Amino acid sequence: MDYGIYQDKLTRIVSDIARSHSLWVLAYGTGCGAIEVPATMTSRYDAERLGVRGAATPRQADVLMITGYLTVKTLKRVIRVYEQMQDPKYVIGFGSCAINGGMYWDSYNTIKQLDLYLPVDVYISGCMPRPEAVLEGFAKLQEQIKAGEAIGATKYKENLDYYRGNQKKIIKNWDFPDYNW
Amino acid sequence: METFLGKIKDRISVNFDLEKSSIDIEKKRVDVQIRKEQIPSILRYMKENMSFRHLMHASVVDWLEEGKFEVIFMLWAPKEKIRVFVRTKLDRENPIMENLDMIWPQLNTYEREFKEMYGIEFTGLVAPEEFILEDWDGPPPMRRDFDTEAYAKDVFSERIGREDAQDVRETIAKRSGEVIPDFAKKHSR
Amino acid sequence: MEGILLHILGAIATFLLAFVVGMTYGGIRRKVIARVQNRYGPPIYQNFIDAFKLFSKTTAVHHGAMHLLGPAFLIVSAVMALMVVPVLRDNLWFTNLNFHGDLIFLIYIMVFGPLGMALGAGQTGNPNSAIGVTRGLSQMVGFEIPWVMALVAIMIKYNTTSIVDLMKIQTEVGQWLIFQNPFAFIAAILASLGMFRYAPFNIVGAPTELASGPASENGGKFLFTMMSAGSVFAFVKLTLFVDIFLGGASNLIILVIKTFLLYMIPVLYGAVNPRYRTEQAITYFWGWPLLFGFLAIIYSVYF
Repeated sequence: MDYGIYQDKLTRIVSDIARSHSLWVLAYGTGCGAIEVPATMTSRYDAERLGVRGAATPRQADVLMITGYLTVKTLKRVIRVYEQMQDPKYVIGFGSCAINGGMYWDSYNTIKQLDLYLPVDVYISGCMPRPEAVLEGFAKLQEQIKAGEAIGATKYKENLDYYRGNQKKIIKNWDFPDYNW
Repeated sequence: METFLGKIKDRISVNFDLEKSSIDIEKKRVDVQIRKEQIPSILRYMKENMSFRHLMHASVVDWLEEGKFEVIFMLWAPKEKIRVFVRTKLDRENPIMENLDMIWPQLNTYEREFKEMYGIEFTGLVAPEEFILEDWDGPPPMRRDFDTEAYAKDVFSERIGREDAQDVRETIAKRSGEVIPDFAKKHSR
Repeated sequence: MEGILLHILGAIATFLLAFVVGMTYGGIRRKVIARVQNRYGPPIYQNFIDAFKLFSKTTAVHHGAMHLLGPAFLIVSAVMALMVVPVLRDNLWFTNLNFHGDLIFLIYIMVFGPLGMALGAGQTGNPNSAIGVTRGLSQMVGFEIPWVMALVAIMIKYNTTSIVDLMKIQTEVGQWLIFQNPFAFIAAILASLGMFRYAPFNIVGAPTELASGPASENGGKFLFTMMSAGSVFAFVKLTLFVDIFLGGASNLIILVIKTFLLYMIPVLYGAVNPRYRTEQAITYFWGWPLLFGFLAIIYSVYF
């Protein structure tokens, strides 16, 4: 990991444990998956007991949850939101639309592979995934963080040209700065 | 009721030359078809001289085989609880209509949508260039001759393993031995 | 020389105590709210995990000097207030800086932090922050009046502006101030609902409508600073209430019991209430709390 230069291994382990148990989620709810997020957060499934909690703004968030399909128009905003988030940050692709287009496989303005444009750490399959599946996804992300494998943000910075190339192929009118975090 | 609807139809046909007209008693509906030049005057007449004050919806149907766009205005009389559908057909090659948003301001939004999704031009329409689609440079996407599947294949890359995706309806029918009627079969583009 | 050293060590100990107790109370609050909502809830040490995570996040946001200073103002004012409030009665470690007139100083310093934060939030340029600041100042106009009235009533009655003197008086009389002037306590506790900014008075940092208001551009270490400032400040307020109205505390256990009971009032009131609009919040404070404030002053002047 990149910040290993500044922190020794012990603090990294401790902070990884802290990070894995305090995931503040920014749910980008344009698709139908947004309706599963309240069900996950409220009394029946209660994601807060795992430290998963809603964040109000991208600046405060750790996890960007893409709940459902992304159109070209919303992808532009999602990229901005993602780049405004502070490191370390993670992305969860949610539902089959984010994985392979789902039922929007032949749509003229819906992207089909989220991981071409943003580094996805965990995919949750299903249409829609039930709250159990969402919690399973969070548990997977926690495991990855503890093992130091959730390095999507670092990969994004290293391979910025690849991601930018893919993004600019779709977004024709690129009107924000190339580096904005 | 039948006479009432008939009266409405007669009253419209006295003032305007209708190309086609019909009434549906069950749905309390009067259908009229008219030339596009008369659309502004008939809508204004229905709003101001009859009680059809409310525009429920406006919509476009693409009749690819006929080479026409059909624009439909659905009006509603709140007191009498009757709806009137005013239809007009435009040439598909050169779809131009007069701007109508001075009659109902909400038509402005519908017109922007028609312009973006079907490419229908409205003379005198004052509105921003883009409506829903952003930076769209292809043909109007809701036209039936626009092949979205080919476009999506061309622009968005498909995840590997998705190429052999089967048609759900046909696969289930094949498995269960069901015979799909003609009208329910997947239409070819 | 030894006196100064003891003072410095005592100040550090006070700060650590305030931080730990405030954070734990925040965790208990989350647990209590979860139980009220029939959820299991996070562990009570969850706030420490959150704080550590926020502290370990990188910061790449910069909106100018005032933006950086905003959270600093908050924590500075919280610590200044903490230094003035005596934590324990007649204790060498927690005397800190007491002087005559510290009650008036406190009224001032408790407003100073939010004002500094407002300046910092203004520079971020985020419209949510600006709206949040406007709401916060309006709400402050609401709850400051009954709060100041309650304190003024006490000052008139006992002819002192020192918290230590008030604690002494309560010990000498053998009766807590909450019984000597109940109206002042009611006015102050109702004003404290607004001071804690829990529901239904969380109109400043409303997450769903304002995207956390003044904090919306602050992530990572900024948020950590604001969080610790909030915890310390909560401890300050609770301790102040205990000192003034509940006769202070002679040891930490009694302090924790008293502050916890006081803390449950805004928490439980918030757990079952939705959020007010700004004008509803202000009219709330200008209703019953103001009446009790008047009653407190009349009571202390004529009885």
